[in-house]
Amino acid sequence: MATDDLTLVKRVRTGDQRAFRTLVERYQRKVYAVALGMLKDREEAMDVSQEAFVKVHKYLDQFKGDSSFYTWLYRITTNICIDVLRKRKSAGGHAAEFDETIQVNLSEASAGTLGSRLGTNPQKSALRRELVEKIQAALEQVPEKHRTILLLREVEGMSYEELARTLEIPKGTVMSRLFHARAKVQKILSEYLELDESKVGIGSE
Amino acid sequence: MAHNPACERFWPELSPYIDGELDPSSRVQLERHLSACSHCSALVDDFRAEGGLIRLGLDMAADEADFTGFAQNVLARVTPERPPFFERLRISFDEFFTHHRSMVLTSVATAAAVLLVGLPIFLLQGAPQGYAGETMELQAVRVAEEAHVQPVVLEAEAEEATIIWLVDQEGPRRHDDEDFQHHVLPGASGRDAPRPKGGEL
Repeated sequence: MATDDLTLVKRVRTGDQRAFRTLVERYQRKVYAVALGMLKDREEAMDVSQEAFVKVHKYLDQFKGDSSFYTWLYRITTNICIDVLRKRKSAGGHAAEFDETIQVNLSEASAGTLGSRLGTNPQKSALRRELVEKIQAALEQVPEKHRTILLLREVEGMSYEELARTLEIPKGTVMSRLFHARAKVQKILSEYLELDESKVGIGSE
Repeated sequence: MAHNPACERFWPELSPYIDGELDPSSRVQLERHLSACSHCSALVDDFRAEGGLIRLGLDMAADEADFTGFAQNVLARVTPERPPFFERLRISFDEFFTHHRSMVLTSVATAAAVLLVGLPIFLLQGAPQGYAGETMELQAVRVAEEAHVQPVVLEAEAEEATIIWLVDQEGPRRHDDEDFQHHVLPGASGRDAPRPKGGEL
């Protein structure tokens, strides 16, 4: 039976390097997935993932146990990613700004496309794989601050309150950005699925 | 799928509704609308599906990554290479002195004070000069013939009697033994006196 995280953390605090290695190997994929989703660059995501674990080791004494170790690790990872994104922006990197005053026209997208097209039909497994690849591409089209908040919400499960605190924005802005991010992704995927449907004639069930 | 323009006022509430962040009264109103509006209901389904796809997509991307050596690299960064023995010793001394500077200085000062005060005392071993610290060796005892002496016997700690001859000032004074003059009580004149009889001790 795998040792729980809190026990491993206690061992790491006593200098047990094997316990720390176990924690790293347990969460390296998930940390990398979050970093990749936020940064879009595989190499940078790998560097940030390592940096996250190094910081975890350094500040382990500050982990009080009031949240799960996993949540705390995620917070550290996303904070590092946010710093990287800020440095990119200040270095003149491309940061697609999204004007939130522009109303998203959800009527243009075929609503229900995703929900109805994903099911248990074996033929849809391949479609699911394609959709996954497409969603990664769609996320790249979403502006950084919207992508960040969408990933923090969907992957880390942060509450709106936590999102507002972490990103230092009002709660209303959290709701607005989430809505726009989801609407954007939904529109991109719906257009892709409509195109796909017209090409191969796959019907929805 | 056509939508009712009235739907647009509910769109901002779709996200918090999916995330469980909508207040109860707003949730009731939205659910009432969703039950009657297939378009908004479909949008809710799409938003929920997106979340699952995002998580799945990131998992698949992580599957494609190579984590060989990842943990080792992390451990190498948190566990620096052990320096050589003498270097570790030097670092230990440096750290000890840095963090216990006052204690070290106090110890050194105390040791120096002990050496400065204690060492001379140890080397001298006994009473200071002028207080019978030197052992006097009698070279000779001579008594003037005409001297009137009255011996004074002093008992020493070791029960060995010490005899001090007191020379009467009126008696002849020895002149050929300068050492003996030093044993004469102060005030004695320099009158010549014949050499007393008696041999050397």
